[in-house]
Amino acid sequence: MRKTIFIIAALVFGGLMLGALDSIHPFGEPGNVPMDEYFLHHALEDRSSENVVTSIVFDYRGFDTIGEAAVLFTAVCSVLALFREGAKK
Amino acid sequence: MKPLSIVVRTCCDMFAWFMVVFGSYVIIHGDVTPGGGFQGGAIVATFMALLLVAYGGEKVLSWVKFSFYNGLLIVGLLLFLLFGFSGMANSFFYNFLAVPEAVALAGGAHGIIPPSGTIALMDIAVGIEVTGGLTLILLYMFKGTRMFNLIEMGGETGHDSR
Amino acid sequence: MTEYLHLFVLLVLIISAFYAIWFRDLLSSILALAAFSLVLSLEFYILQAPDVAIAEAAIGAGLSTAIYLIALRACGRLKKGNGGGLR
Repeated sequence: MRKTIFIIAALVFGGLMLGALDSIHPFGEPGNVPMDEYFLHHALEDRSSENVVTSIVFDYRGFDTIGEAAVLFTAVCSVLALFREGAKK
Repeated sequence: MKPLSIVVRTCCDMFAWFMVVFGSYVIIHGDVTPGGGFQGGAIVATFMALLLVAYGGEKVLSWVKFSFYNGLLIVGLLLFLLFGFSGMANSFFYNFLAVPEAVALAGGAHGIIPPSGTIALMDIAVGIEVTGGLTLILLYMFKGTRMFNLIEMGGETGHDSR
Repeated sequence: MTEYLHLFVLLVLIISAFYAIWFRDLLSSILALAAFSLVLSLEFYILQAPDVAIAEAAIGAGLSTAIYLIALRACGRLKKGNGGGLR
């Protein structure tokens, strides 16, 4: 019984995923997005930064990086709260 | 705890310091080569992972200073926020130090600060923060497992002992 | 040429992922997972994303392997037969 349910679920989800693969972009050709063109052309001219990824992370989308830094800080705080020295006796 | 064999310890001794140098290179050159603050900080944090796996708990935990890495975490985060707030005359996170490429090639860049402005400085700040944070996570996890071991099972076991 | 390189790398990815869940010894399983992360970073490099490749190689193959090793050493359960193999 469980094996039958498992096989039916695997077939259904596999079929849905194969169907979804049909409608994505072809490999190596992303869609026509004007924002990509803006970033690629203005990162070197305006900011003189050769690495466009770093220029996006720290300049154009700098506000998101605060969230990333806060996530790391929260992870360190939670690990410290879990493993702090307080458990001995 | 028994440390690992002498071959592993010698290799980890050499490669750990190369990891620090390579990670600092990736952090400092974040705006011209692939990489950046997060990647370079993770590479520098591999230093402590190598030492912990090779030497075991007693030696490293008696040698390392937790307050140093704590200070790195806090200083990096505050430095990042300071660079964010210092462009506040225009808007939050405004890149007020950037020089356009034509001006920089003509010699108009300012001194020791790279022409990409706060991008390179924020790279260094985030690199300092990630170094402190990931090393602290490793060290506290190791300390916590040692605590659990000493309470529950009575003594540590190295993974070459059985 | 590039298609064959892609096929080879993806084949090694599938093989190492299979061995990561097939080994009954947990230490061998951790090493297979480290090999998976290393080959995955090679795949990211072939797909021209060197930033992601550096992050994957440093965190996936370096730090998380060390954390798994520390956790396994702390548990002290390195005897055979404790992993959940498929057999």
